[in-house]
Amino acid sequence: MKRRLRDAPAAVLMLGASLTLLGVWTIYPLIRAIQTGHLSCDQTGRKCTEKGWGQYLDVFQSKQFQDALMVSVKLAVMTVPIGLLLGIGLAVLADKHLRGIGFFRTVFSSTVATSVAVASLVWFVLLQPEIGVLSDLFSDWIPALKNPGLLRDPDTALPAVALSSIWASLGFTFIVITAGLQSVPKELYESAYVDGAGSFRRFTNVTLPMLSPSILFISVVLTTRALQTYGEVALLTGGGPEPEKSTTTIPYLIYGRNSIISGNIGLKSAAAVLLFLISLVFALVQFRGFEKRVHYGN
Amino acid sequence: MRARTPRSLFLLVAVSLVAACSGGGDITDSGDDATTASQGPVETVAPGETAPAATTTTIALDLLPDCPTDALAAASGTTEITFWHSMSAALGEEVVKLTDAYNASQDKVKVKLVQGSYEETADNYFLASQGDRPDLVQLPEYQVQAMIDTASTVPVGKCIEASGFDTSQFLPSGLNAYTTQGVQWSMPFNISNPVLFYNKKVFAAAGLDPDVPPQSLDDMRQFSQQIVDTGAASYGVALESGFDSGGGWYVEQWFAKAQEFYVDGDNGRTSRATKVLYNNGTGVDVLTYLQALLSDGLAVNLGDNTQTGFDNLLKLADDKEPAAMTIATSASLGQVLDVLAGGQFPQLSPGDVGVGPMPGPDGLPGALIGGASLWPVDSGDDVRTAATWDFITYLVGAQQQSQWAAATGYIPVRTDATEVEPYLTTLATDPRFSVAYEQLAASPDALTSSGPVVGPLREIRSVLATAVAAIFDGADVQATLDAAAEQANGLISDYNARNT
Repeated sequence: MKRRLRDAPAAVLMLGASLTLLGVWTIYPLIRAIQTGHLSCDQTGRKCTEKGWGQYLDVFQSKQFQDALMVSVKLAVMTVPIGLLLGIGLAVLADKHLRGIGFFRTVFSSTVATSVAVASLVWFVLLQPEIGVLSDLFSDWIPALKNPGLLRDPDTALPAVALSSIWASLGFTFIVITAGLQSVPKELYESAYVDGAGSFRRFTNVTLPMLSPSILFISVVLTTRALQTYGEVALLTGGGPEPEKSTTTIPYLIYGRNSIISGNIGLKSAAAVLLFLISLVFALVQFRGFEKRVHYGN
Repeated sequence: MRARTPRSLFLLVAVSLVAACSGGGDITDSGDDATTASQGPVETVAPGETAPAATTTTIALDLLPDCPTDALAAASGTTEITFWHSMSAALGEEVVKLTDAYNASQDKVKVKLVQGSYEETADNYFLASQGDRPDLVQLPEYQVQAMIDTASTVPVGKCIEASGFDTSQFLPSGLNAYTTQGVQWSMPFNISNPVLFYNKKVFAAAGLDPDVPPQSLDDMRQFSQQIVDTGAASYGVALESGFDSGGGWYVEQWFAKAQEFYVDGDNGRTSRATKVLYNNGTGVDVLTYLQALLSDGLAVNLGDNTQTGFDNLLKLADDKEPAAMTIATSASLGQVLDVLAGGQFPQLSPGDVGVGPMPGPDGLPGALIGGASLWPVDSGDDVRTAATWDFITYLVGAQQQSQWAAATGYIPVRTDATEVEPYLTTLATDPRFSVAYEQLAASPDALTSSGPVVGPLREIRSVLATAVAAIFDGADVQATLDAAAEQANGLISDYNARNT
């Protein structure tokens, strides 16, 4: 205990920089947002009246928030498992010592250097019904590409956004899983091989358990990203198609160009804090749910 | 690390999702004492008639900040002012050019530019403290009431009065758009309005005169029928329901053309608006007409138009299922001709594009302005206020407006800008650029020609756009408009409660 106290100044000094940054840019704004969420303010955010903490519940239960939550959750269900499977698949494929494999690794990881805006524009150029590349090439076989177009059909708009999202985060998944694969000790494969395990058994009984920390990490990050999707929606669909608002995620409900709460910082803050809590619950559920199956080495 | 069972967390999620199903109210009704929409009977105001005198108020100019325009002459040295503008890409470059020219033309004032989108500029402006605000800000027409309510600006009317500035050459509809309760709040800078774009080749193939666009909504339907019947194009009209176009702004235009008010308080011009009027007979007629165009196969619905903002224009150039006509902002004309000149769409050349006035009920002329205006900010510093006014007078000078209009496709804010180069040549060589100007100049001199002023106009447009999309999909017109009006009225009373 004494020793700890003696170390305190050094600890504070070393933590100081990151504590300050975290405090100024994350913790203080979060506290302000939580506080603002129970207020009703004028558009300048200065004249405020208390609306009670029940405002959080009202926002949560409102039709608009529920619809947006549904969209965000659907987006997570579409993007996380597929993104994980594709990322693991590509990483396992590229984890071979073959000539020229470096080229494929670069290609597979390239989307990590692609911002959401660029990725969305790429998919927009592919999907736009009048001038899009896909509709130009394939609309004779798949008329829906042209009329009404994947981004304009309320049933396909969200999957199309998900597609862009999966593609954009694939590079990140690939890199993390590749790093995970390379830290699996080769002796484990050798002893499994000696024990007579085939390549599939080696994958399920060695690779997957050893990858489980990476998979959990990716799963939490991808879920959080999916719940917070904004850029793809802003650039591909604008929250539409209307009137269903099929792609209005919670962030787009809060901050989108056509947000009906755009001038009301109290409701915007409440919705943002709720999104934080929902992301937190999803992350905790994944940590708790998969805890027993995650293998951290020792 | 086996602290707690995960079940409690799963339970929490399950409970919150179940709780979710029990709510379903409107998000804007959240919190205690949620203000509810006023449920009074909808008043309709006959064309030309003004609201009862009791509700008419005039704001006393004495209570508003002064505009000491002569302070600049007395000042020594260079005064630096900041201008937040909202013009991007080619339009933004033109603002930079004008500003550079102004800075080079004299040494009393130096203008620093900060650029954002309309939404960014507005959000930043509203939430900044007065000290962090710029000296001049450019904001769109739907922010008029919101800007007035910040009580942070110097009314342009006071500057005009103090300096004896001559506004006789200005388009009245431009100035009126930024006037409420007798106060000229801001200075129009970039003006646009919706016009009809059509394919002359399709008109000719359908046996229509390619130089005679439809004037009324009835014309537009007849033309569409002929175009579809002859197979000249797949559709007559490309419709869309974007909130700042077909789903919102155009509906306001149709109300102006019918000389009807869109919100009460004489469009919020004589007193603060408390409710929308768009679910009245005019609104129902216009949307029933559009719905029938779609259900009869004469029009195609392109959705929210948010992806490019130009989906409807692209539909004119579509090689498989083109439409012959669409309504779009006049500000896009220059860009449309540029893109077509690039040769990407062999089936449509720049010369094939016809431009006509926006068709309206009964073919009455007129239009509301869109675009943005310049708001001098009350810095409390006389010299800076005077410097800001000096810069404003430069930006709206005849020569500068001529240059601005020729380069961008916006309508000049004053008539004498059409008589000087380079805009003189633009109009002479391509009469399509004059359609929007003439349409605006033909607007009747009435309050209905000034457009709605109401705090949450952006949100109201968004709510109506959702309703218009539902109507395009076949929903009952009256019931859908009534529901949207109720939601919009809730937004207005909530806004008024928070901001007054």
